[in-house]
Amino acid sequence: MKYKILLMVTIFLFSLTLTSAAKDKIVFADPGWDSARFHNGIAQTIIEEGYGYPTEVIAGSTAATFLGLIEGDIDVYMEVWTANLGDTYYDPINKGEIIEVTVNFNDNAEGIYVPTYVIKGDSKRGIEALAPDLKNVVDLKKYWEVFKDEEEPSKGRVYGAIPGWRVDEILRLKMKTWGLDETYNYFSPGSDSALAAVIVGAYEKGEPIAAYHWEPTWVMGMLDMTLLGDEPYSKEKWTEENGYACEWAAMDITIAVNKDFPERAPEIVEFLKNYHTTSAMANSALAYMMENDCETMDASIWFLKTREDVWVKWVPEDIAQKVKEAIK
Amino acid sequence: MNILFDFPEFFKINLGQHVENFEKWLIHNYDFFFDAIKEGVLWFLLQARSVFMWIPWFAVIIIVFILGWKLINIKSGVTFAGLLFIIGAMGLWDEMMLTLAVVLVAVVIACLIGVPLGILVAYNSRLGALVKPVLDAMQTMPSFVYLIPAIMLFGLGSVPAVFATVIYATPPAIRLTNLAIKGVSKEMVEAGHAFGSTTWQILTKIELPQAFPTIMMGINQTTMMAMSMVVISSMIGAKGLGLNVLQAINRINIAMGFEAGISIVFLAITIDRITQGIANKYKYPK
Repeated sequence: MKYKILLMVTIFLFSLTLTSAAKDKIVFADPGWDSARFHNGIAQTIIEEGYGYPTEVIAGSTAATFLGLIEGDIDVYMEVWTANLGDTYYDPINKGEIIEVTVNFNDNAEGIYVPTYVIKGDSKRGIEALAPDLKNVVDLKKYWEVFKDEEEPSKGRVYGAIPGWRVDEILRLKMKTWGLDETYNYFSPGSDSALAAVIVGAYEKGEPIAAYHWEPTWVMGMLDMTLLGDEPYSKEKWTEENGYACEWAAMDITIAVNKDFPERAPEIVEFLKNYHTTSAMANSALAYMMENDCETMDASIWFLKTREDVWVKWVPEDIAQKVKEAIK
Repeated sequence: MNILFDFPEFFKINLGQHVENFEKWLIHNYDFFFDAIKEGVLWFLLQARSVFMWIPWFAVIIIVFILGWKLINIKSGVTFAGLLFIIGAMGLWDEMMLTLAVVLVAVVIACLIGVPLGILVAYNSRLGALVKPVLDAMQTMPSFVYLIPAIMLFGLGSVPAVFATVIYATPPAIRLTNLAIKGVSKEMVEAGHAFGSTTWQILTKIELPQAFPTIMMGINQTTMMAMSMVVISSMIGAKGLGLNVLQAINRINIAMGFEAGISIVFLAITIDRITQGIANKYKYPK
């Protein structure tokens, strides 16, 4: 019996070494949101069909997958929200543990959102405009009763960012800068899926809600939400001493790879360096996914089929030809 | 050939879609019902929280010391008081109290549901066959699967946290109550019948006192289960130690994670030993 198990283990290990004898597998991170999966799908398809590398995706929380990138279990991270991660991102870059390859896109938005029906009402659903003069975040002050916190009814509730994200600390400071901390509780939603669920839930019921969110996400693609205004961005105001007294600058969403990766697959890094998209592209692809009830991979293929003008120039001609053949 | 290796599309069912539609229907039509539950749980929770936040820290430590001393021995009393003191010294006292409030409310609700249901199940084996798979589902279904719809119904905050904890922590209360009632010796019950006791008398005067230590073990298990849900609770907006753990995880901050994590362990040990002590104290002489 013992020998049998030993034999089986040996065969198993042997088969493992056999499969990895070909081209090295390239591992992508799935930190848990759709736009990252969408970019993974594009890169995976191009790398598998064009360059002939097998690929794999490891899913996990942002922190866990990022640690994987530093440790080398993950090779490529297609969507790093740099300012959200803060030092978690910049420290390993400075230490040379990971390498920033390029900016994937930088036309995103973030801030405090409310459903548009809170401001304009929705006659079709029979929702009254509860806060008709709400335009800027500071206007929330006079409407705190609209956004009442049930656990502490003497104040309103603003749903903040995910605990541990850099933006969580920034938002806490901004609440004071806006002067909202007197009339509002800053509520920690715990996880991004919980934040998305509470926004969608309130929207379904037609209830008012004020919550931090960002684009591109399927939530923003699917619901009619309004980003509340803030002071125009300037470098002087966006400091900790000044309490981040202006709107968010569009953040660089970068592609990062492990430090050993360029050595292993230089031509892939070359391709990733050319990789550049926009939020609008991701939004439309994710909306396509939601409408057709399909997977992110289908959205990626859809993108490759319809937007040849964008991606063909990322890769040499022969590679592009191979990819085109494969997705036909 | 493919028919042998690929499961035929022909049999495809969209079970999940029906569940989703049902949930949407609930949101639109039974909003008031869930709002009422929410109000009730919230009221209870706010009371518990304000009481916990009102008790001075040293009073809590003294109470825990006395409980440990009277229920077990003086060494245990000192240990428990020491454990809580360390939590306070790490600057996590308020977080601990907030955690305790959620756990307490969840355990009370779980017992209010679990103990009577356990008794019913012990009396009615057909009901038992029905309840058992439900209990299995409650303990093995990944929490976020039912939490996302729960958030849509209850919003974010301590209420869905209590909801999640109750779902996960009720099964041991039901199971052990059931076991305890069934474990009462037949002779005793027969003697009761012989003296002309009613079913109610048999239950309250013979079965429940004898079953008490085992039921207490069930409540002890329920409490421990509730403690293990602390981090999940924080993922849906409950304040307390879980939130610190979450922050630490997201920042890969080992120091902060350890402090909050070990505090949860200390708290769990203290609660576990004290409830076990109560169970042992009232053990029925054989």
